[in-house]
Amino acid sequence: MKTLRRSFALLLLATGIAQADVPKLVLAIGGEPETGFDPLLGWGGYGNPLFQSTLLKRDVKLATQADLATDWQLSEDRRVWTITLRDGVSFSDGTPLTAHDVAFTFAKARESAGAVDLQVMSAVEAVDDRTVRITLDRPWITFVEAFFTLGIVPAQGYGPDYGRKPIGSGPFKLVSWAEGEQLIVAPNEHYYGTPSPFGQITFLFTGEDAGLAAAQAGAVQMVSVPAQMADAVPAGFRAVPVKTVDNRGLSLPFQPPHEVGGRVIGNAVTADPAIRQAINLGLDRDLVVDVALHGHGTPAYGPADGLPWSGRDDTVAYDLEAAQTVLDQAGWAAGSDGIRAKDGLRAAFPIHYPASDATRMALAETAAELLRPLGIDATPVGGSWDAIGRVMHSEPVVFGFGSHSPYQLYSLFAGRLGGAEYANPSHYANHKVDALFEQAQGAESLEASFPFWSEAAATYGLKGDNAWAWLVNLDHVYFVSDCLDLGQTQIEPHGHGWPITTTIADWRWTCP
Amino acid sequence: MAGVLRHLARQALLLALVALAVFLLMKASPVDPVDAYLGPAIAHVGPEQKAQIAAAWGLDRPTHEQFLAWAGHVLRGDLGQSTSYNAPVAQVMADRIKASLALTGLAWLLSGIFGFALGCWAAAQAGTWVDRTIRVYCYLLAATPTFWLALLLMMAFSVGLGWTPICCAGPIGVPPGQVSLWQKLHHLILPLVALTLFGVAQIALHTRVKLIEVLQSDYVLLARAQGATAWDIVIHHGIRNAALPALTVTMASVGEIFGGSILAEQVFAWPGLGRATVEAGMKGDLPLLLAIALLTTLIVSTGNRIADLLQARVDPRMGGA
Repeated sequence: MKTLRRSFALLLLATGIAQADVPKLVLAIGGEPETGFDPLLGWGGYGNPLFQSTLLKRDVKLATQADLATDWQLSEDRRVWTITLRDGVSFSDGTPLTAHDVAFTFAKARESAGAVDLQVMSAVEAVDDRTVRITLDRPWITFVEAFFTLGIVPAQGYGPDYGRKPIGSGPFKLVSWAEGEQLIVAPNEHYYGTPSPFGQITFLFTGEDAGLAAAQAGAVQMVSVPAQMADAVPAGFRAVPVKTVDNRGLSLPFQPPHEVGGRVIGNAVTADPAIRQAINLGLDRDLVVDVALHGHGTPAYGPADGLPWSGRDDTVAYDLEAAQTVLDQAGWAAGSDGIRAKDGLRAAFPIHYPASDATRMALAETAAELLRPLGIDATPVGGSWDAIGRVMHSEPVVFGFGSHSPYQLYSLFAGRLGGAEYANPSHYANHKVDALFEQAQGAESLEASFPFWSEAAATYGLKGDNAWAWLVNLDHVYFVSDCLDLGQTQIEPHGHGWPITTTIADWRWTCP
Repeated sequence: MAGVLRHLARQALLLALVALAVFLLMKASPVDPVDAYLGPAIAHVGPEQKAQIAAAWGLDRPTHEQFLAWAGHVLRGDLGQSTSYNAPVAQVMADRIKASLALTGLAWLLSGIFGFALGCWAAAQAGTWVDRTIRVYCYLLAATPTFWLALLLMMAFSVGLGWTPICCAGPIGVPPGQVSLWQKLHHLILPLVALTLFGVAQIALHTRVKLIEVLQSDYVLLARAQGATAWDIVIHHGIRNAALPALTVTMASVGEIFGGSILAEQVFAWPGLGRATVEAGMKGDLPLLLAIALLTTLIVSTGNRIADLLQARVDPRMGGA
């Protein structure tokens, strides 16, 4: 008995010493979910869900990797997924994770009032302890997004306060969450993957200013910074600009103006293919990046630049003269004020942007200035999202998108979504695109759907309809301590901050 | 007894009217609660799912039904469910009210004391450089946005000098349960200073004007003729008279200090009700916003009632009122 107690004391001492050597990390990258860490309400949609694990994950090149699932098969009719789970997984409280928990998670998420849209799922069942079967209404390959983002929760123990007391099978467990202040997490000793080298990670949820101040005071090891401040790097830090598909672009209402249910849809100027082509040819995107983003970005040509489902050659070289020729040939002649007109219609439109967003304001102003040499009179107009919602079906708006799922393309260009809230606000519709989207959604796997999505760019993109005028992809800039090695980073989606945590398992501390 | 009943009836009517006004204003506001709740997720959430959320929150029912349903629940003691925090409103408020009371309560008390003292000092030395300095200081502060003042203080004392912490109600990386009293006080200092500086100006200016008025009255002239010194007069005749407006202003300033705390809490990441108020407003979280509005109404109106009662005590002439 005595020896046992002695060895226990020794063990305690040993872990105490070990913990002193384990580095602790403090990050100020925002991303606090006010509703708590509940995947069924949308937690984990971006970045690492920390406490839960998902069926699949994406590596740094965005290729699909197994996580909780070891095998995933889609039936011949593309409506039934059969998923086999990894063996021997347990939640952070030690209880085993089985197919029943997965089925519960999907069924509960389907009916929850949260940001997880599983409406296409008609049934889910646990076939045995390690096999789950999910049935869909129709072939819908982008349903797999839920495999990447929906963290599995325990069927026993999930309740209204789950978001504040999360139990999961992820790499970390909750130590404490002071709402509005900080989240403290520690490695989950039941995690099946590689354990984190950090003994404790603290996420500070201060505003941007306080986060920067904390970095200057040396209290944090990483902070996300807006492009405007990205050049003032504090001592001991380096700026890490991460490439993104966090894009900004101008919606160009696609149809000629007509009224539907008392609401005007379409725009006579932007409905002209020549105008759309000339805008895309005649906008110097490099200049836009320099002026509006202080250089912290890249030119954007489509909504998913660099991702496998973007168009293969969907780019265009800046050529002002070619743009002017396009307009000349289409009969848009310059008037005495330098603005072109055709059949009494002036080449003029407003560019709306949310007034609270400085970056979008800069983009609207810059784009308007660069359109003037083309003979197009664009007027930047700032307003609330509500005001924008009223005009977005008939006038151009500076929108921002960017996602790791090809569903992004569907929501932007599918004819059947035209005008459904913020989906396809320009009412783009082309049966060729719709047919390809249909084929993509009916593909045998996510990877097999990529060529169809990609092929659609030839129609909606710069060599086809010029549906939108994409301007830039923002760089997400982080100030990172010289002692923290982030390894490789993913191309980040819309949202600056939390997405960087996707690769948190690869982070290393390089200082003694 | 009848007076107390009448007061309670008036209080209830006031609360009902405030609730109705807040409700109608939020309904008229352009914020769509479901859109605001979803945020960027709106890009991949379809119309069916949005309808499901709206139905779960009761937003698919007619406006008057929504209000009556809410009022019915409140009368039964249920403040409802906060949509932005996905937790019962009572719990959201209970989690934050202690931090808020510590900050706003202390700031209110200190700004009352300092404001009154500064006002008296300025009036006693009216026209001198002391008076001018205090006045300029008050005008400057009255014109300074709280969040800017808070940021300046933080840059100076937290970043520059390193005397005070950057944020929060406890040290970074320490769970709330392990924070010592000393650490709590250390984290309270800077938000408290910012908020107190903000509250002092009004009270000082009101006190000063009233005291100067008193000092020009006949009875002060008489006292002076009898050989009383300036400080004698201020202490024996001035303070009691000037206390009246100071009390009223101090009691009425509860609302302003709470408003100021909303901004200060944002800057210092102080976990009080102020941040919850912003969140509720931005996200169109009606149950939470209504509860906070009712609480503030209750505090301000009770403060005014106390001021009335105290005035009767301080000034015997108002005893009959």
